[in-house]
Amino acid sequence: MDVTADANRGLDLSRFVEIGKSVYSLVILLVLWEVVGQLGLIHYYFLPPLSDILIRFAELTLSGEMLFNAYLTLQRALIGLAIASVLGVIVGVLSARNDIVDWFFDPIIKIGYPVPIISLIPVFMLWFGIGDISKIIMVAVGTFWPVAVNARESTRQVETNLIWSAQMMGTSDRRLLWRVVMPAALPGILTGFQIAMPLSLIITFVFEMVAGGGGLGALEIQGVRSFESAQVYAAIIAIMLIGIGLDRILRFARGRLLHWT
Amino acid sequence: MRYATSRSIEVLPTPVQGVVNTIIDWIPLGIVVLVWELVSGGIVATDVLPAPATVGAEIVELFVSGEVFSHLFISLFRVGVGLGLSILVGVLLGVGMARSDPVENFFDIFLSMTYPIPKTALVPLAILWLGVGTKTAILIVFLACLLPIVLNAYNAAENVDQNLVWAAQMMGTDERSILYKIVFPATIPEIMTGVRQAVPIAFIALVSAELIASNAGMGYLILTSGQIGNYPTMFANIVIISAVAFVAVRAFEEARGRLLVWT
Amino acid sequence: MDGRVTISGLEKVYGQGAERTKAIEDLNFEVDGGEFVSVVGPSGCGKSTLLYLIAGFLDATEGTISVDGDPINGPGTDRGVVFQDYALFPWRTVYENVTYGLEEDGVPKDERQNIAQKYIDMVDLDGFEDKYPKELSGGMKQRVGIARTLAYEPKILLMDEPFGALDQPLRESLQDQLLDIWSDLGKTALFITHDVEEAVYLSERVLIMTRHPGTKKTVAEIDLDRSGSREEIVTSDDFAHFKNDVWKSLHEETQTEVTL
Repeated sequence: MDVTADANRGLDLSRFVEIGKSVYSLVILLVLWEVVGQLGLIHYYFLPPLSDILIRFAELTLSGEMLFNAYLTLQRALIGLAIASVLGVIVGVLSARNDIVDWFFDPIIKIGYPVPIISLIPVFMLWFGIGDISKIIMVAVGTFWPVAVNARESTRQVETNLIWSAQMMGTSDRRLLWRVVMPAALPGILTGFQIAMPLSLIITFVFEMVAGGGGLGALEIQGVRSFESAQVYAAIIAIMLIGIGLDRILRFARGRLLHWT
Repeated sequence: MRYATSRSIEVLPTPVQGVVNTIIDWIPLGIVVLVWELVSGGIVATDVLPAPATVGAEIVELFVSGEVFSHLFISLFRVGVGLGLSILVGVLLGVGMARSDPVENFFDIFLSMTYPIPKTALVPLAILWLGVGTKTAILIVFLACLLPIVLNAYNAAENVDQNLVWAAQMMGTDERSILYKIVFPATIPEIMTGVRQAVPIAFIALVSAELIASNAGMGYLILTSGQIGNYPTMFANIVIISAVAFVAVRAFEEARGRLLVWT
Repeated sequence: MDGRVTISGLEKVYGQGAERTKAIEDLNFEVDGGEFVSVVGPSGCGKSTLLYLIAGFLDATEGTISVDGDPINGPGTDRGVVFQDYALFPWRTVYENVTYGLEEDGVPKDERQNIAQKYIDMVDLDGFEDKYPKELSGGMKQRVGIARTLAYEPKILLMDEPFGALDQPLRESLQDQLLDIWSDLGKTALFITHDVEEAVYLSERVLIMTRHPGTKKTVAEIDLDRSGSREEIVTSDDFAHFKNDVWKSLHEETQTEVTL
């Protein structure tokens, strides 16, 4: 009996047990889902069997419909988010550093906060129509706030000692912003992005569900209207994958950018 | 070179200071209304952006005619029930997961998987199951608020000062009592923070559901008045629901302050 | 190369109206070029405020502070500060922190490398150049703070209880390192501390401040023979004598403080 061989086998087994412990409930759910669906215990309309949903998902992917709609949604959400991020960081950081800018933007930031941004969808439909541009602008407006507020707060909270250190070592006010304030405020600014991203998706989905024009939201609601339940679930799976994907990307980026924390 | 900024209102007597402060707080709103007034009819046509006065009159009209009440009540009912349920379930789940490993193992995977999905994306699914109306709205609000509350409750329960638990144990408290005499009270402040975060989320979820899946409520009103071209009403309703959301957050913070006198 | 600091009629007032508070009142003091002076005083006497005023981070309400005859005007590279909480840039490595001042000064890359390495070695941190502050202990971070401030060679070193957050053995070791560096470089040093022993051990003179509002109470001359080892110095009669003098003077200022 080779002792090392035994030890290795012991190691593999414990890892599987670890993973198993954390996913067993999901596995049970999925199995139940399939069984219940196949046995017709719940009406097909409400809950198609998992296999049908996966088949429908595959169909949509192969026909390109899924990817096309995903592309539309992502395009709207991410472009809007990018615009809001740039503007939000600029406004937020400058508001924290410059009293005049702060005086100007503070009311805007204060007023925008309590408004449930979703309620403005009909307004945007009125002003900009129901196309891509309208959705992008809405996402940009909606995600501006978390980005700006976080940027402003994290800039305000940069430790005074860091700024003083830089000044004593000869940093001019102009260089101070880029050399010290931005890096120090970066963690807070990134948190703003992390909040803004799911919001960008929410705005896009709801807009698509209300106004149409393609996209995963529209795909999903279309499934309801045409009694194609499998399509509804398939769209949700796609949404989930995108959500997880974007979240991972953001976390990875955060880990890299903030490797010093 | 910065000198200490002077707060010139401090020359005024204290009670007057309070009033002046309140006025200063509302100046931002005043500025926005002012800009709004200038833009409407000037740069932008009044049917696209009705003047503040028009919208204001419409708001009054809506309240006087009582038209808005039924919808407002329905919306508030949905938010209230949805949020209430999410607090109940969320706290139990969060604390349960923090204090018990098997519970955590069971639910953890579901929470991780649902966390990146915006819950409003589930509105069509909710329509599938519950049709159009109040049940769907409540479900969406519930789902949207659940996660922040579970996370806060979980963190709060995990971080209960061990010394508090030990003090209770040494004075003879049994396990079950520890849970509701020590753990729950100690976690309330942080849970309240989670609820505070959930309130704006609840309103966003509510309006989302009402725009897509409802025949009543403020979201529905906003959508339909826009669709028939009654723009003053549309804007009026937006102002109303925003004001309500604002008041809800303030009221909550007030209540939290009263409740948590020990913090 | 003097680094003489002249403080004349210094006053610092915070706030307005009902909350008006005077931190420093009519302070007059002079530090000669190359001198090591400690500042001690009861809590709230304004020692840190004094340091920040000299550093130029705060503006005086009245009075002037001059370096070699020129009144100061805000922070400057002639006065370097070592902070109690280190204030290192967390996104920069040890090496990058130390070279920061040199970068600002436009020093070319090769020279920066040499200078930085010299001071990193001086504080015994060679080998740690690529570490980030998060990977360092408190004592190491403080040494980086010292190296960073020394690197761009200010005339005057201002230190705000730099060893306050460290434990006793570490503190003693850093005190000795500081003395070595100071006698090597001959810079003017102003050192804030609440630890009377530390003040007496390190300095040639000790400025004792009154309680709030702070002003000069007295200045003790510490005429100590520092040629021996730490143990010899600290156990000598002279040391005890100076320490007692300073302690007594300080104690008078803290008489009215409530004790548990």
